[in-house]
Amino acid sequence: MKRRAFLGGLAALATTVALVGCTDSGASPDPTDAGPAETYQVRVAALPIAETGAIWAALDAGIFADHGIELEILPAQGGAQAIPALVAGDIDFAIGQPMGPFRAALGGEEVRILSNYANSLPSGDDVNSVVASAASGITSWADLSGKTVAVNSLGAAGDLTIRAAVEKDGGDPASIEFVAVAFPDVPAQIEAGTIDAAWAPDPFRGMVVAAGGTDLGGPYQQAVPGLTVLTNFTLQKVIDEQPDMVEAWTAALSDALDYAAGHEDEVRAAIATNLDIPEAAAAGIVLPEFTADLSNAGLEDLVKLAMKFKYFETEPDLDAIVVQ
Amino acid sequence: MKSTKSRRARSALLGAAGVLTLLLVWQASSELGWVNGTYFPPPTEVFAALGRFVLDLNYWRTIGNTLLTWAIGLAIAGVSALVLGTVVGLVPVLRRYTRSTVEFLRPIPSVAIIPLAILLFGLDRDASLVIVVYATFWQIFIQVLYGVADVDPVARDTQRSFGLGTLSRFRYLVLPTALPYIMTGVRLGATVALILTVTAELLIGAPGIGQLLTVRSTAGDYAGVYALVVTAALLALVINLLVRAVERRVLSWHQSVRAEVVL
Repeated sequence: MKRRAFLGGLAALATTVALVGCTDSGASPDPTDAGPAETYQVRVAALPIAETGAIWAALDAGIFADHGIELEILPAQGGAQAIPALVAGDIDFAIGQPMGPFRAALGGEEVRILSNYANSLPSGDDVNSVVASAASGITSWADLSGKTVAVNSLGAAGDLTIRAAVEKDGGDPASIEFVAVAFPDVPAQIEAGTIDAAWAPDPFRGMVVAAGGTDLGGPYQQAVPGLTVLTNFTLQKVIDEQPDMVEAWTAALSDALDYAAGHEDEVRAAIATNLDIPEAAAAGIVLPEFTADLSNAGLEDLVKLAMKFKYFETEPDLDAIVVQ
Repeated sequence: MKSTKSRRARSALLGAAGVLTLLLVWQASSELGWVNGTYFPPPTEVFAALGRFVLDLNYWRTIGNTLLTWAIGLAIAGVSALVLGTVVGLVPVLRRYTRSTVEFLRPIPSVAIIPLAILLFGLDRDASLVIVVYATFWQIFIQVLYGVADVDPVARDTQRSFGLGTLSRFRYLVLPTALPYIMTGVRLGATVALILTVTAELLIGAPGIGQLLTVRSTAGDYAGVYALVVTAALLALVINLLVRAVERRVLSWHQSVRAEVVL
């Protein structure tokens, strides 16, 4: 009798908790009264990183609602997942680094870059940098020759610009061994000595430096200063089938990025809330330049660099990929 | 002869002692510097993070999401494995023809088909379910297959000489033989389903413990990451207890569960 009650209790508890999972996760705020007649349900995939702070802040400020957009943000694990999800029709847009769309376009997918999202900073502290352990003795870009350098995903802008930076400083980029290490694992791996240097953003590069490591600076600044970090892309199919929604989204995102560029405190507050990190940590993050403008994004230079280091077999056609 | 109550109390005490020893070793490894406490926080920090999580509604919603995916995946895999396993197990021709296909498909690690799952279903629960169902199905299917085929020949001949119909044959012959195998399959499948649920959430980003783990990891919250690992472990423990209790109940007539009666 006791055992039956225990069993029943366990089953009831499990069912209750499972049913709790059916509820909506984090409902979006109420739309403002003054809004256009048409409302669109938009699903966008964005990485759960500080850069997404612009969208979070703009969402809180009701900017997407003003354009009639009910936004659902899906935390993607990377651009590699975003494109299959776009093809599956599960998401409408994705925010990711531009090499992903280039590769997909070369593979036959009709990926279209609608606008920019964030540029790196052409001078001063950049959004990400290469940090090296004290033990490795690396103090310049050329020192990276023959060393093991970690990037979060191979074959993307990280290792490409690092190669360019090393070559510019007189080193041998071909001798670098690039390994894939996720950003959160970088500080531990540097300390353990399995890697000599790594490409990392805040807070992880700060942890390495605090433990005695060296910060070489941003590879983007060496290769293509102000290079775009993230772009906003979708499929041609979405543009063809839902042109009004695409137009509304592009306009909304542009306003959102302008808002973020002018309201840094709101962005940092949104980052602290959504990533659940202390406000002091959010205050220390180097924010990128939020802009929808592709004119300074450096995409042409990125493609040239990629062809030089043989990252692609054929050159991606920017005129086709980037929506004018 | 020791009473069942004191025996059960003793085994529970030993179990608790084992867990305590593990926690002490973990704490010591941080304090004594065997591992770096920054990247692998000691249990004091991890359980503090767990305490913070418990007060957060989103944490319970996350657990609910994982459990829901687990339950749906296990149900789909279980029912389909039961049906297909019975059909294939009872028809020798089918068994022969499907053997090599099964042996080819079974060892494919279901995480390898994640790109396919995302392509079909996007970044949501459905994609996770593909992964969960694929792995769990084979666990239960193999057990059902062997269970259905393991009928005692003497019993089978008795059934034939008594002239029992197909339905009676199924109820009195196949089901009692297969049931222990099926319950083993369900018990193994339940664990596998939970592992794959969390893995799929980790790699696809579908809502659940795995996804929350990635988010905490990206935020540099190492204590939170391990708090979620502990959560997954506790979930596995609860599920295991539940399935074992169900198994004991369903198989209460079976000689492996019943104690020997000493005359």
